[in-house]
Amino acid sequence: MAALRAERASPAVESVRDCRSLESGSFLSLPTFRLLFCPSLEALVLSEQNLPTFLVQLVAMAGNKGRGRAAYTFNIEAVGFNRGEKLPDVVLKPPPLFPDTDYKPVPLKTGEGEDYMLALKQELRETVKRMPYFIETPEEKEDIERYSKRYMKVYKEEWIPDWRRLPREMMPKKKYKKAGSKSKKVDNTSKDTSLTNTADVLKKIEELEKRGDGEKSDEENEEKEGSKEKNKEGDEDEEDDAVEQEEYDEEEHEEENDYINSYFDNGEDFGADSDDNMDEATY
Amino acid sequence: MTQAEIKLCSLLLQEHFGEIVEKIGVHLIRTGSQPIRVIVHDTRTSLDQVKKALCVLIQHNLVIYQVHRRGMVEYEAQCSRVLRMLRYPRYIYTAKTLYNDTGELIVEELLLNGKMTMSALVKKVADRLTETMEDGKTMDYAEVSCTFVRLADTHFVQRCPLVHATENSDPGPPPPAPTLVINEKDMFLVPKLSLIGKGKRRRSSEDDATGEPKAKRPKHTTDNKEPIPDDGIYWQANLDRFHQHFRDQAIVSAVANRMDQTSSEIVRTMLRMSEVTTPSSAPFTQPLSSNEIFRSLPVGYNISKQVLDQYLTLLADDPLEFVGKSGDSGGGMYIINLHKALGSLATASLESVVQERFGSRCARIFRLVLQKKHLEQKQVEDFAMIPAKEAKDMLYKMLSENFISLQEIPKTPDHAPSRTFYLYTVNILSAARMLLHRCYKSIANLIERRQFETKENKRLLEKSQRVEAIIASMQATGAEAAQLQEIEEMITAPERQQLETLKHNVNKLDASEIQVDETIFLLESYIESTMKRQ
Repeated sequence: MAALRAERASPAVESVRDCRSLESGSFLSLPTFRLLFCPSLEALVLSEQNLPTFLVQLVAMAGNKGRGRAAYTFNIEAVGFNRGEKLPDVVLKPPPLFPDTDYKPVPLKTGEGEDYMLALKQELRETVKRMPYFIETPEEKEDIERYSKRYMKVYKEEWIPDWRRLPREMMPKKKYKKAGSKSKKVDNTSKDTSLTNTADVLKKIEELEKRGDGEKSDEENEEKEGSKEKNKEGDEDEEDDAVEQEEYDEEEHEEENDYINSYFDNGEDFGADSDDNMDEATY
Repeated sequence: MTQAEIKLCSLLLQEHFGEIVEKIGVHLIRTGSQPIRVIVHDTRTSLDQVKKALCVLIQHNLVIYQVHRRGMVEYEAQCSRVLRMLRYPRYIYTAKTLYNDTGELIVEELLLNGKMTMSALVKKVADRLTETMEDGKTMDYAEVSCTFVRLADTHFVQRCPLVHATENSDPGPPPPAPTLVINEKDMFLVPKLSLIGKGKRRRSSEDDATGEPKAKRPKHTTDNKEPIPDDGIYWQANLDRFHQHFRDQAIVSAVANRMDQTSSEIVRTMLRMSEVTTPSSAPFTQPLSSNEIFRSLPVGYNISKQVLDQYLTLLADDPLEFVGKSGDSGGGMYIINLHKALGSLATASLESVVQERFGSRCARIFRLVLQKKHLEQKQVEDFAMIPAKEAKDMLYKMLSENFISLQEIPKTPDHAPSRTFYLYTVNILSAARMLLHRCYKSIANLIERRQFETKENKRLLEKSQRVEAIIASMQATGAEAAQLQEIEEMITAPERQQLETLKHNVNKLDASEIQVDETIFLLESYIESTMKRQ
């Protein structure tokens, strides 16, 4: 046992000396005691030895090599524990995720103000979902589109920002299908952003995306009645391009209907058709 | 920004604006100021969506933009402003207590919309107020305007910076982004508008939540045709002023708890008098003479001058040092030490946290170390009159949680541990920071738990909403009690129980969030005040 101790002690001794030459010198300060232990020392600690006595031996070996006498080089009481005392075990794992609390929390404040603020908070939470600023993620299309889904959607007011207050690059570029009349506009907005080589590549990617986006946003328009931030219906006065928008408006307006124009049957053909097939009874 | 703050910002943005805005916002908070192309590239969202998200964030004052060299526009997120979203219910409630329902709705609309013009705001608030009034009555625009003017005069709302009007003779292409400037004098200047009209009640036939698509509804008729008189002048809520109000409230209630109602009234009067003269970040208010205070006391208070003087002396002698005496002219010049007051409040929060977490003996040790500044282990045991072993244990527990720190004082240059003093001390600033960080984590946990609870019971919630909608529509069409009973029974008793439990839990979590936010406010104010002084 003694031989074993001696064997294991030797690497430890070097590390003790190394530790002591550390600048902070807080190797032996108790709170960081456990943490600064070198692994080999820790192994020693884990052995069933009584800690303070081991420490004494360590110090004796390190400091008074050759003297053969165990003597303290410092006041052991300053570290906080007496000779022969059992210290708490070393903790080797991170603190638990849900620690037990000895003291239960104090009950929450109650009162008129607190109740009102609670109600306000819950109301606000619902309200913000209905505001035009809440941008929903476009959902993937399910296999079967449920009939009721279309009618459970919340219709939001649109919001169009004041373009005068925003950088020019914020204006959404016109959709690709309006390439004819709006390509001029696209050029204008794109010219102003400074183009470097990488930006060129990014721009190409972005245009490709937009082309894909244009198609996708068409679908979105037909699914969702009521676009939010697209530069369409002129409810706000703060637009600079009122005329162009209005042209755009009507097209969007038409697209957002439930009814696609070509499908509309206003019944004028009803009488004409039935005349041809006299054998069918008309109900 | 710390991870805890970023997590909390992410949860808040997601609740208020949805996932796309959250993704962009969190990316900007993490990486700092970036141009739009880089955002598109890094977040892998389409340019269109990034633009929408940025528009929303800029509208709500959460992101600002700057034009850099070579005409690049960079966007930067304001993390601290995002965290203010937690406090919206408190702002709105404060407006209600000061300016009644009208003020409450004005502030609510401003907070929900970020910025608005005065005319749009007045119209919207009038409409909302008319909804709640009895049939036949409407809210006049003039009343709402009057309340708005009062809010502007007391600085609770302020103007947003205006677009800088460049001369038209400027040759070359227009700048990529407008520069926004605001003149200090004009910040609270209300434009002269004559808003005439009354609030409109939304007719019940138009009140289709589901059903007609928006496109079929007739456009708003006449309002668009008139030009808006205050076009371009936007208003926003002045959060700093609200914070000043909260701080004053905290100080007054602290004085009321420590002394009595009369002294708190005196302190409230002093703070009210200093509202306009002292900037909110000053360490102490301007000196006020005792005579002035006497004249400005509220009308109901009949205390004599001598009693007032006695109270003031008492307040000035109090060890907490909320009130200080700065001179003797005019019957005694008194100031309120705002910085010290905030420090005391933050310290009180720390003490109370230690007490509730570790017990009253730990709290005793903590207060002892606070008072004596630096103490050795042995001295702690002696002064606190707690046995050595327990004192040690408690000290190390607090040390591991970073409420207390160790100060090493070496006796010799080689820092040998045997020849070094180890003193325990409380560094209030760093402990406050640590506690603030924990508060952010707590609120993030609370929000996550609430979302989890709601998600668990989503099916049940939807069912109960449907049943309520059915009952409401049946009541509107005049159904009998038996039918209503039948419909109500669609929700079984255990389900009802579950719903009750869910409601109770969600309420508790929400209330906890509000309360943790109060602590956050105190700690943040203290930290800000300390940083400004350095």
